[in-house]
Amino acid sequence: MKRALSLAAATLMVTCAANAQSYPSESVTLVVPYGPGGASDLAGRALAESAREFLGEPVTVVNQSGAGGMTGARDVSRSDPDGYTLLLARVGMALSPAVNANSSVDWDEYTFLSALEATPMILAVAEDSPYESVEALLEGIENNPGAMSYAASGATAIDGFTVQTLLSDAGMDPLSAATLVPFRGGGALATALLGGHVDFLAIAAGSLMPHIESGDMRPLMVYSPERMDALPDVPTAQELDYELAGQVVGWSALYGPPDLPEDVVTTWDDVLEQVAESDSWLSRADDRGSISTIGSVDMATYAQEQYEFYRGLAEEFGYLE
Amino acid sequence: MLNDLLIAFQAVATIENFLIMAAGIWGGVIIGAIPGMTGTMAVTLALPFTFYMQPIPSILLLVALYKGSTYGGSVSAILIKTPGTASAACTTLDGYPLARQGKAGKALNMALYSSCTGDFISNISLIFIAAPLALLALRIGPPEYFMLMVFALTTVAGVSGRSLLLGLVSACLGLLLATVGEDMYGSFRFDLTVDMQGGLAVAPVLIGLFAIPELLKIVVFRNTETQQAMQLGDNKVTRAELRRSIKSMLKGSMIGVVMGAIPGIGPSAAAFSSYGEAQRTSKQRDNFGKGEVEGIAASESANNGCCGSTMIPLLALGVPGDVITGVMLGAFMIHGMTPGPMLFETNLNEVYMLFIGMLFSSVLLFGAGKATMRFFSHISRIPPGLMAPIVLVLCLFGIFSISNSMYDVIVLLAMGVFGFFMFLLAIPAAPFLIAFILGPMLEENLRRALAISRGDPSILVSSPITWLFASLAVFVVVITIRQQLKKAKA
Repeated sequence: MKRALSLAAATLMVTCAANAQSYPSESVTLVVPYGPGGASDLAGRALAESAREFLGEPVTVVNQSGAGGMTGARDVSRSDPDGYTLLLARVGMALSPAVNANSSVDWDEYTFLSALEATPMILAVAEDSPYESVEALLEGIENNPGAMSYAASGATAIDGFTVQTLLSDAGMDPLSAATLVPFRGGGALATALLGGHVDFLAIAAGSLMPHIESGDMRPLMVYSPERMDALPDVPTAQELDYELAGQVVGWSALYGPPDLPEDVVTTWDDVLEQVAESDSWLSRADDRGSISTIGSVDMATYAQEQYEFYRGLAEEFGYLE
Repeated sequence: MLNDLLIAFQAVATIENFLIMAAGIWGGVIIGAIPGMTGTMAVTLALPFTFYMQPIPSILLLVALYKGSTYGGSVSAILIKTPGTASAACTTLDGYPLARQGKAGKALNMALYSSCTGDFISNISLIFIAAPLALLALRIGPPEYFMLMVFALTTVAGVSGRSLLLGLVSACLGLLLATVGEDMYGSFRFDLTVDMQGGLAVAPVLIGLFAIPELLKIVVFRNTETQQAMQLGDNKVTRAELRRSIKSMLKGSMIGVVMGAIPGIGPSAAAFSSYGEAQRTSKQRDNFGKGEVEGIAASESANNGCCGSTMIPLLALGVPGDVITGVMLGAFMIHGMTPGPMLFETNLNEVYMLFIGMLFSSVLLFGAGKATMRFFSHISRIPPGLMAPIVLVLCLFGIFSISNSMYDVIVLLAMGVFGFFMFLLAIPAAPFLIAFILGPMLEENLRRALAISRGDPSILVSSPITWLFASLAVFVVVITIRQQLKKAKA
């Protein structure tokens, strides 16, 4: 509703171009393409809170989930490039077009405003599991192909690729060595492991940290460029020399529809520069277990690298003919 | 523990907290009563405000909105034959006939008494048996879910009306429609347009199926009955009615508590199961669907019975069971609290404050329900011929406001026409809706179970919990067949 209103207001303003006001003169809508309460939602709301101060106008978060995030992404990509509708992009925006030939939006049908954060993923087993290390887990999988199961959002979702790349790095068949059991949402994935319904998983840190802290789950490895502050003893995939798994990481970014006007882009460059330094943004990133990457990555290049990486994986694993 | 609870009581019992909860409940009742606007929407819209509030009042506000909207759904179910939320679908079956008989007030009162009873029992369970219920919830894996869904689906037999066969046809159509969109392994089914890749949302299907056919009936048949307003009059729930409903109410509350505590099931399945159970065991069996207060008691006690216990997996395990508790998880984390086993150690005081606040909210729900009822019951004085277009406009706005997409509006209208044809063919709508809501859970858990067992179906009867639900389902099927045979003979 709010978004519809702000869209209407924004359109009105564009048509009445006579009174050329500077951007932004209205609240900005930030579309989060996943449901409320999840990692993307929290990232979007944290950005909205931190940015309003420097933008001078409120940022309204709207959840628009569906089709693995592509519904919201498509709506933003097709919206008016006036700077009043932006997208909290996730790794899915690069991954989905890479693995799905009929994806409704391509990876580059946006204006790339900035990278926001890297969100680590954790490979974990239940506390009563016999496996104490990644090597032991992989050995267990290899000894009984297909018998062990893992929970993920889907075969071609980021949390499916975390496991498949690891299996591939260990010289096993990524699709059949362990059995994928799909669940919807971080809560359901974590429950599947807690209840002993699957043997392991590798999903976003935010969904697992409470269970790791309470001792119900054991972390074996982190998918992240560096070790997590909260888990200093858990090695990263890169440290353990897993080539493909070492390149898998979750991230958030800020996208807009293609061909955003120059003044919108510069406004957001300024705003994000200030957000990157602000305590509220940094402390909330810490709370979620993520690392702020504003200003440290060129998003257009990074999105292309990510797209090509997952394209390569999809071809190698046989998801694309 | 009692001492801690008393301290928490003092901390919670402030004017501000009461005002916040009352506002939340009231707002929730009104949002829930408007077809198309759901509790999920209310909670999501309220989330940004909670950033500026104290942690406990902000969670209490969200809980209050959730409870209010769950009750509010029954108001429109009774008065305009359009469940405001999916979990009130079974309330329509008896509530609307009662309203037609001029007993809208009686139906609304019954719904309120049952909602508050369910709500209160649910809160008590949250406070005292959260830990064992959480452990039970964890034991429910894919095979157990599947069998539970099979059992819940047997409700179809009870809501089929005159013909069980047509009820089954309706349920099969519902199951079929539930398969539209992306499946759990990422393949697309029936995706005629790009929008359909996301599947059909519950709200437009629900409202299309119930609200639009009413309008079409008036347009097509122009019968004089619709020109007249319903009579008000019989508003009180008599003591005899209360006495015969109390069993269904308590049973419904229990079903609500257990199903609410299991992540991912939700109030709709609980209300359906409870209604089916009440109908099978009631002495007034034949009156169900024609305006039986006991039916309202069963359905409404079960859906509000979920409201407290749905917090159990969130608080005790840190896993949100549905979108609403997902939003609450977000609200907890914004305030630096992480729900889960650790919460009871690090923030015990806050947890107790939350408990006490929730108990108060049951009482506030009663007050808010009573107050709104007076206002709402005048709606039944509007002749249906006038009411239907108003409802249509409300529905269109409501549906559009959830997703901002014309696609959902088209689904709503298409389902309306479909529902009208079902009405012409005397196919009941309730089994369709039940199957449509339970279908995805049924299918996904069957596929999960078979993935885990690598195709061995014996996993479906591998644990005591699966035996329990399987035998309950078989029991219901046998009873239904016997009743049908008896009917055929008579």
